[in-house]
Amino acid sequence: MAQSLLPEEAQKAVESVQHADIVIGIPSYNNSRTIGHVVQAAHAGLAKYFPQFTAVIVNSDGGSKDGTRDVVLGSAMQDSQLLMLSTPLKAVHRLSFPYHGIPGKGSAFRMIFQMAKDLNAKACCVVDSDLRSITPEWIDLLLRPVLFANFDFVAPYYHRHKYDGTITNSIIYPLTRSLYGQRLRQPIGGDFGMSNALLCRYLERDDWETDVARFGIDIWMTTIAVAEGFRVCQSFLGAKLHDAKDPGSDLSAMLMQVVGSVFALMQEYDSAWRTRNGSTDAALFGFRYDVGLDAIQVNVERMLNLFRKGGEDLSEIWELALRPDTLRAIVKLTKYSGPVEQFRLEDELWVRMIYEFGCAARDNRLERGHLLRSITPLYLGRVASFVVETAEMGAPEVEQRIERLCLTFEDLKPYLIDLWFGTKSAERKKEAPEARELET
Amino acid sequence: MIRTLQDVFDRVLDTIAYHLTTYVPPLVVALIVLGLFWLVAKLVRWLMAKAIKGAGIDRFLSDSGLRSMFDSAGRLHGTPLIAGAAYWLILAGGVLAALNVFGTDLTSRMVETTVFLFPKAVTAGLILLVGAWLGQFLGRSVLVWASNEEMPGPRRMAAATRIVTMFVAVVVASDVLDFAPRVFFAAFVILVGGAVLAASLAFGLGGRDVIRGYLGERKAGEQEDEKSLWNHL
Repeated sequence: MAQSLLPEEAQKAVESVQHADIVIGIPSYNNSRTIGHVVQAAHAGLAKYFPQFTAVIVNSDGGSKDGTRDVVLGSAMQDSQLLMLSTPLKAVHRLSFPYHGIPGKGSAFRMIFQMAKDLNAKACCVVDSDLRSITPEWIDLLLRPVLFANFDFVAPYYHRHKYDGTITNSIIYPLTRSLYGQRLRQPIGGDFGMSNALLCRYLERDDWETDVARFGIDIWMTTIAVAEGFRVCQSFLGAKLHDAKDPGSDLSAMLMQVVGSVFALMQEYDSAWRTRNGSTDAALFGFRYDVGLDAIQVNVERMLNLFRKGGEDLSEIWELALRPDTLRAIVKLTKYSGPVEQFRLEDELWVRMIYEFGCAARDNRLERGHLLRSITPLYLGRVASFVVETAEMGAPEVEQRIERLCLTFEDLKPYLIDLWFGTKSAERKKEAPEARELET
Repeated sequence: MIRTLQDVFDRVLDTIAYHLTTYVPPLVVALIVLGLFWLVAKLVRWLMAKAIKGAGIDRFLSDSGLRSMFDSAGRLHGTPLIAGAAYWLILAGGVLAALNVFGTDLTSRMVETTVFLFPKAVTAGLILLVGAWLGQFLGRSVLVWASNEEMPGPRRMAAATRIVTMFVAVVVASDVLDFAPRVFFAAFVILVGGAVLAASLAFGLGGRDVIRGYLGERKAGEQEDEKSLWNHL
């Protein structure tokens, strides 16, 4: 246990427990309202599906002031409350410690992974502490593929409202899929299962003190798994209902951390994604079923206003990142004044823009924070376009619409390769599509 | 008459001979020194261009934002920059050495003044460079933040940030050079004082309602966000 990153009390706990087959990690910060349910679901999942395994539930807390840790330690699941077909043979340990380092989910995960490694766990899973829809089955679905089917990484697959997870749907999923060729539908879902080999690989890395420590952690975990050839799969978990994530948090900071992590990893793994063409389905475990979802209110007018304002204010930043034809098309679109229902930021333009921003981040054409935060109005413009386009669509049609975007990302990958590696293979001189003439 | 003319002519010839013997040899030596320095400067530039691996410097130029500040097209590279700086530094040394050959009061004073001022000029130049870089960095930070936060007039705010930062750099640089420091300092105090007074008046009188309305809108917006279940991730 040399070089352990654990705080002293966590190290003592590890020494006391000595070994665990399974570690379930729950990062938290002021989640006393919801974490009790999550801990109980985890406990029940272990008792019901893995009674023969020794297990530890670890809460890695960011210094909560609302008694989150007390809730974790006090919310024991009485086994008698469950209809058990077999009696649990091993007790489940519940531990809660504050993590050290940069405040954020990534730092919380780091402590969990270190404990899992020190306990020599065969499998580890992490679940968010704000989940309202987690059930004991989630634990089974996240751990079983690792324990019994030799998978290294289990990504979640949820039913979500069509407007939920817009960063995932418009950037992260299509971009990750086109780069690494794996169709993992929720690459930043937040609830993952992983093998000991993979979590040891995570701990070996030295980029924990970057955006990985915050919102970048999810895409970082997924990307390493797919780019380094670990066996990946998905598990259908049903609906993802949870508290709004950091409602007061800054969207541009969130976007910067997540997209910045993707761009940084693109740089590291460019030799891996350069040669991958198209994409393939990842194995999907779990029984799929439809669920009711909370309605989500989206203010399109406000998003469009921010998009327009971005066009007025930020073109001097964008011109350092975008090619002239792309910039022209974007700026033209920011001046759109027609009916909101007809506003469209077309897929091809959006994809080119993302690829060009990725190259600009690689080239350090301007300070990274400025570059990434300046994407916010463009992202809101794209979301506004998506919302008005899918207003009347049901879930299957929306999924098809996202699939179309993914295919555009894949089709334009030669353009990215051309920009990134400076080859002549792609249609370099092809102009970006002009913003559609929508004014009537 | 003829003798007088001959005397004048002799004096002129003596003067010319005096000047030729006094100034031409140093001038020739000065030109030779300058030529030697020029050759050395060219050789050093060539050697540096060959020897220095520019990747680290290029990364510094990129990461620090200096590249985009001077050349948005990204053509500025570290190796030619450093080699060019060495070239001009050696050439400037050559000019000083050549002037020193004459040994006159004027040239000695010029050399002394230059040598005395050189560190200060370099320091002032660096201060202005840092000021320009900081102005650009802060200006862009304000621009992006203000635009994303729906603040009124982000471009004006960014321009004001750049100007104030650059002005502070000029004040500090002038102080280092001892160039009208009081004038610049007084101007700085007047500018900052005036800006604070104007802002106070704007908040206290004319802008009161606007600010109240703006803050009210923001608060309403935040409350609306908190009610929303929209999760971007």
